[in-house]
Amino acid sequence: MKLNFIGGVAGILLLAALIVAYSSLFTVYQTQQALVVRLGQVVRVVDEPGLHVKLPFIENVIDIDKRILDLEAPAQEVIASDQKRLVVDAFARYRIKDPLRFYQTLGSKAAADSQLNILLNSALRRVLGESTFIQVVRDERAELMSRIRDLINREAAGYGIEVVDARIRRADLPEQNSQAVYQRMQTARQREAAEYRAQGLQQAQEIRSKADREVTVLVADATSKSEQIRGEGDATRNKIFADAFNKDPDFFSFYRSMQAYENGLKPNDTRLVLNPDSNFFRYFNDPSGKPVSPAPEAAPAAK
Amino acid sequence: MPWSNQGGGGGGGPWGSGSGGKSPWGSGPQSGGPTPPDLEEMLRRGQDKLRSVLPGGNLGGKGFAILALAALVLWGFSGLFQVAPDELGVVLRFGKDVREVQPGLNYHLPYPIETVLTPKALRINKIDIGMRSVEDGRRTASRDVPEESLMLTGDENIVDVDFAVLWKVKPAGVGDYLFNIQNPEGTVKAVAESAMREVIGRSDIQPILTGARQTVEAAVQDLMQKTLDHYGAGILIQQVQLQKVDPPTQVIDAFRDVQAARIDLDRSVNEAQTYANSVVPQARGKVAQITQAAEAYKSQTVAQATGQTSRFTSIYDQYKKAPDVTRERMYLETMEKVLGESDKVIINSGKNGSGVVPYLPLNELTRPAPPRPPATGAKP
Repeated sequence: MKLNFIGGVAGILLLAALIVAYSSLFTVYQTQQALVVRLGQVVRVVDEPGLHVKLPFIENVIDIDKRILDLEAPAQEVIASDQKRLVVDAFARYRIKDPLRFYQTLGSKAAADSQLNILLNSALRRVLGESTFIQVVRDERAELMSRIRDLINREAAGYGIEVVDARIRRADLPEQNSQAVYQRMQTARQREAAEYRAQGLQQAQEIRSKADREVTVLVADATSKSEQIRGEGDATRNKIFADAFNKDPDFFSFYRSMQAYENGLKPNDTRLVLNPDSNFFRYFNDPSGKPVSPAPEAAPAAK
Repeated sequence: MPWSNQGGGGGGGPWGSGSGGKSPWGSGPQSGGPTPPDLEEMLRRGQDKLRSVLPGGNLGGKGFAILALAALVLWGFSGLFQVAPDELGVVLRFGKDVREVQPGLNYHLPYPIETVLTPKALRINKIDIGMRSVEDGRRTASRDVPEESLMLTGDENIVDVDFAVLWKVKPAGVGDYLFNIQNPEGTVKAVAESAMREVIGRSDIQPILTGARQTVEAAVQDLMQKTLDHYGAGILIQQVQLQKVDPPTQVIDAFRDVQAARIDLDRSVNEAQTYANSVVPQARGKVAQITQAAEAYKSQTVAQATGQTSRFTSIYDQYKKAPDVTRERMYLETMEKVLGESDKVIINSGKNGSGVVPYLPLNELTRPAPPRPPATGAKP
């Protein structure tokens, strides 16, 4: 019975000791930092993960994340300094640098998110509002993002928060402006296509014209050369004739005349009205053939 | 109120997201958690029972000792755990990262002294941006997500870019990956989108559509890696793969038409070239023909002239031997031929020949029945 009583007391003491131990020990996880609060007052900050000791019952522990935390801002329309509209979707990554201040000013991540959202939005509007559209999209995106980050950081330091990075996730045109861009892209492509086709026609025309010119020039050259050759032929002919006929011009005249009569006065085509007094008919009247007159023998009359 | 949470952190973190589980990591990627849960649950229940039966003392001292020993041994064995081949184990002692273990069977001091996290740190993860793979029965179709894939280029055009990011935990960065960053996957995605838009925004649309894929991929990978390293995320971007880079669907026809126009250009030029190639050789043929014809004419003319003169010369040679007779003969022969084949009217006109006049026109007189109409005959 006594043993039982001692055992019971020991058991109760053990239990009490366990409860005290449980209440005076706490762990801090690798991802967290802890505030030790004694009766509502923060007495220390525990940064090191592991097992730690506190006063039982009167000290509480508040865990605060020390990882890099997400902040997603909803998309919003921003007007750039050149009056162009942009739908900007930004995000930030931050960490709680000073847990005490964070706890005092904000208390929870939800509060931090809404506060940072306001800061991010105003920084976004301020920085992008001072820049032109093309600076945002093309030229100075990285610089603008670090300016936004610095701007938020200046404010967020008061909440014990360090903004590691602020980035523009999307910076796009509003829907109606996108339609305009599509139309512009379309017309630009149509212009390009038309240009290609026109260039094709132009080049084709050039090639054809060049070919035609070549043909004309070739034929003209050939014609000129052929005339020259023909001329040479004619010249040679004339020379040959002249050389031959100069031997006796009188006979040539006679000979050629005879040929001309023969060829010129074709049968069926020609009707001759002859005078019997002509030299041809000199034996007609007189077998001795005395010439009647020296008149021409025939007067051709081609009808 | 989560802030009044007392004692050792076994409850939920202040962030709410993971308050239900034993793990304080919220919705992190680690799926393993302390292992094995059933055993621990059992142990704790055993301990509770132990405490409750202790004052009562129903059990004998020996039996109690055996029970306690058995519980202790069981508790000791609860530290055994397995790390799968694609995982790495990180052992935490009272929440502090103390060591890292490789895949296989391992041991940690039993709960609540040590716990283990087993993230799939060796696996290569893939994030699709601009489209989602949709499991459709047997095959996987991809669904476009235009709000992610449409982006502005530096020359104020819009381009539709789908890409995938392959990433994994850095070999020595599993601690960073687990403990430095709240939402690794979401962060990779957000950084990827931001980096891609930044890179695309710097370039004009034409190079993006045609040649600059590799440059874009490399630039995005580089930018992402820098940003994530800045966060200390312990993440390695293995690869950025551009998958579809197209003009937006609204204008893709116009872009295709440009391609068609280029082909039209080539076709026009080819057609013209065909024409030129056929017409010029034809002309050369014609040139040869003209030249040959001229040569032929020349030869012919000269030959004719030579022939005629040689005929003349032969006749002349004979003529010289007897000029008068030959001349007379030739004359008569010619006359014979001419008069023999012609119609003739012989009129003795006397000295004046005026008697002929009343009989004109001679045509009707000499040929009462002409073979052809007089109109035609009147022609020369």
